[in-house]
Amino acid sequence: MATTLEPRTTPPPADAAPELGLEADAERAESRRGLLIGLPSLAYLVVFFALPLVIVVVYSFATRSRTGRTILGDWNLDSYARLFDPLVLEIALRSLWLALLTTLISLAFGYPFAYYLATRSPKVRGILLVLVMIPFWSNFLVRTYAWRVILGRDGPFVRLLEPILGTDVQLLFTPFAVVLGLVYGYMPFMILPLYATIERLDFSLVEAARDLYASGWQAFLKVTWPLSRPGVIAGSLLVFIPSFGAYVTPEILGGGRTTMLGSYIVRQFLSARDWPFGSALSVAVLLVMLAAAVVYLRSGGRNL
Amino acid sequence: MTEMLREPRVRTALAPDPVAESGTKLPAVAMQGVTKRFGGGRGGDPVVAVDDLHLDIRDGEFFSLLGPSGCGKTTSLRMIAGFEYPSAGSVRIFDQEVGLEPPNRRPVNTVFQSYALFPHMTVVQNIAFGLEMQKVPDDEIATRVGEVLELVQLSGQARRKPSQLSGGQQQRVALARALVNHPKVLLLDEPLGALDLKLRQAMQLELKRIQEQVGITFVYVTHDQEEALTMSDRIGVMNLGQLLQVGPPEAIYDTPRTRFVADFIGDTNLLSAEVVDADTARLTDGTVVRVATGRPVGATVTLAIRPEKLGLWHADAERDLRLDAVTGRIRRMTFLGNAIVYEIVTETSGTPVELTVRQGNTPGIEHFEPDERVRVRWWPTSTAALED
Amino acid sequence: MSVVDAASGPPPDVAEDSVVRPKRTVERILAGNAWIVFAFLYLPILLLVVLSFNDNRTVGVWTEPSLRWYQAMFTDRNVLGALRNSLVVAFISTVVSTVLGTAAALSLERFRYRGQRAYDGLLYLPVIIPDVTMAVMMLLFFVQAFDLLGAVLGVNASFGIGTISLSHIAFNISFVAVVVRARLAGLDPSLEEAAADLYASRWQAFRRVTLPLIAPGVAGGALLALTLSLDEVVITSFVAGPGSTTLPVYVFGLVRRGVTPLINAVSVLMLTGSMLLVLTSLLITRRRDEP
Repeated sequence: MATTLEPRTTPPPADAAPELGLEADAERAESRRGLLIGLPSLAYLVVFFALPLVIVVVYSFATRSRTGRTILGDWNLDSYARLFDPLVLEIALRSLWLALLTTLISLAFGYPFAYYLATRSPKVRGILLVLVMIPFWSNFLVRTYAWRVILGRDGPFVRLLEPILGTDVQLLFTPFAVVLGLVYGYMPFMILPLYATIERLDFSLVEAARDLYASGWQAFLKVTWPLSRPGVIAGSLLVFIPSFGAYVTPEILGGGRTTMLGSYIVRQFLSARDWPFGSALSVAVLLVMLAAAVVYLRSGGRNL
Repeated sequence: MTEMLREPRVRTALAPDPVAESGTKLPAVAMQGVTKRFGGGRGGDPVVAVDDLHLDIRDGEFFSLLGPSGCGKTTSLRMIAGFEYPSAGSVRIFDQEVGLEPPNRRPVNTVFQSYALFPHMTVVQNIAFGLEMQKVPDDEIATRVGEVLELVQLSGQARRKPSQLSGGQQQRVALARALVNHPKVLLLDEPLGALDLKLRQAMQLELKRIQEQVGITFVYVTHDQEEALTMSDRIGVMNLGQLLQVGPPEAIYDTPRTRFVADFIGDTNLLSAEVVDADTARLTDGTVVRVATGRPVGATVTLAIRPEKLGLWHADAERDLRLDAVTGRIRRMTFLGNAIVYEIVTETSGTPVELTVRQGNTPGIEHFEPDERVRVRWWPTSTAALED
Repeated sequence: MSVVDAASGPPPDVAEDSVVRPKRTVERILAGNAWIVFAFLYLPILLLVVLSFNDNRTVGVWTEPSLRWYQAMFTDRNVLGALRNSLVVAFISTVVSTVLGTAAALSLERFRYRGQRAYDGLLYLPVIIPDVTMAVMMLLFFVQAFDLLGAVLGVNASFGIGTISLSHIAFNISFVAVVVRARLAGLDPSLEEAAADLYASRWQAFRRVTLPLIAPGVAGGALLALTLSLDEVVITSFVAGPGSTTLPVYVFGLVRRGVTPLINAVSVLMLTGSMLLVLTSLLITRRRDEP
């Protein structure tokens, strides 16, 4: 057994365990190389993202002293219990309702828009798509600010409406303004995944449905709509998630009377100085987002 | 000039397998006990892609690995190239163990199925890439690239980008990019798969011409039996990770050793029979045919006969004692243009035998109608006994 | 001589007479809806641009065109300081996150190792996390880190450009990685194998083949990082120190107090910056499609 006829550089393992093939070393070296390349960013994310996340969770169990300092110790669930205060629930429900409304309005206008886009000739399609992308890339704060000018006292809408209605018209600082701002801000998030799925749709399926005696409307309901559902789900979540946690838009367009969760959390840190409660709120919002993201990934929405 | 290197292509069906008579010349590629498992390790059963492969590929030959998709042929090729490392066994190139060497340290080059031409480089830059990596002097690079461009007849396209070339031209660039390095072995992974039929046939001849001109060993992976039969000096048939049979195209086609080989390559009649004595066997309908099975008396064997080796005659045709024969009735006739295919059911006692007969549509050949009684006759040498 | 392009035919188009094309009335409604959406997307921006050239102190009352608010903007120390901070933070965070994000994309897309799925998940989190939550995270993290640094090393660290940049890198790595990964995933892996087959070392294969081919993705990721960094308000306002506000944070503060013509001018400046970035990224995309 010890003497082979010629020296072999790679002796075949006689009774080696099947998992440990000859290639095991090479593959391990390859894995190490991959990990090494990813290590700097992994380390960065662990220190500057995962660790902060853990700290927030820890803070959410801490106690607030009477002077507004946070006492790390004396751990309790008080902050989580406060999530069920009527005031907090009211804000949460308002956020939920406004976010849902935003999503529905975006879908109602975004779907036909995306369908229109996807059925143009390739040249026109390219140009229209760029026209959607431009506002998408433009500064969010500035775009929201534009609505403050438009809806304000001296804005064109109020000036137009007041003589007609003959009364004081208040557009700014209403839920209407907030939803308008959110739709304006996040509409491209709805249009782009919808466009991507509808554009990839095999339109000969619609022709097949028409061939099988479906009316145009039936073909849409039974073929086009179900097949574009991944885009609908992806787009809806991409609009819902940021709307639910929105801070800038309600702050600029909503004023004090339409507080949403985002603003309420910020208030805990900047004015109320109740960091444990603010942390608990953040964790709760994060969990809602994660649940939504899981739905998103499950529906195969990863490709956008 | 290289005509001498090639083996004579006229052989009888029963000629000894030339593998046995290979000389003392060093094999270009020698694979011994090569096994490749995927997805082993923690959890999940490993998939054995290649199972204990033993194969010698001779210097200067055009060798094809033939088999259906997932049979392990591409994995075997990738282990020669160095894109996969074997789980067990040894891979040698001219007696040099390379099993665990990375691809850039192996004296072989690959023509990829997708061509894998660098889209950001021109034709010349693509071809010169390998030489640059090997630090070949600039003037030599220029000469060699010029030569190989001539060889593949692409001198006019030198400054183009791959996307500006047709599929056939891209294929030639991929070939030139590999050949310019003077590899000891050239590996080709279904390189003609993306081309249409006419171009594919033209490229088959072209590849063969180039191989004869440069005299480099080609290892060619394909699932297309016709391609393998047309171009190869020898063929290795693979299925489910195992190498089933190695031999020249004629041997593979005429004397398949297993049911899979007989079935995968061309059409064939597979007949169940019982061994009568050393030289004869009895079909299920009672007909005795002449075939040397090398099995004990009474054993069940499967016989394979190619449809085009069967002759069709009127039922009352004279007997010819040199031929084996059965009598039957035509169940269906299919006209193919260059040939006519008949399905025949024998009319004897016992379980009827079903046979497919293929007659070339040549002048003077008699046409038969469905339901006609016919006699099917063939030379005993056309019958092959299978091992399984 | 005609150029044959076998690889990519023209994309399938919906024929003019196809039954897929909805009937005329439906078509009209769709077109009308498209006009409404485009008007909705663009009119507010246009209005803002026009008003920024209004001479009147009251935003809604048009008197005559003038550049006085732009003049005011470029002499406003606060605006200029904030602009400078914004550019410094955007530059630092873009450079660092482009390098780190590209490496992360390569590691996840081209290698297999244990714990990869967890890494993958961690990399996606900053993309979907609400900015308010991330703002809270960064604030508490730096407060704790400063406490620790003060107690252990006696170093007196504070909020400023540094903390803003570190926070921006934390979310930008993920965005860069997502964009570069998409590009890598579309790259035929046999191109890298071909390079290795042609005697290129790992580094040579990356340098000569992989990097040039993913360059548009890397550039796209960098532009996205730059845009996100220049736009960010919430996280920045949490980790900014005195004197280190960025332009969006400064503008946000002004906006909360009310509408002024000066904000209009600053807004148009920021919009112009965004537009330039979009144009650049479009040019890169255009070049990507060329042979």
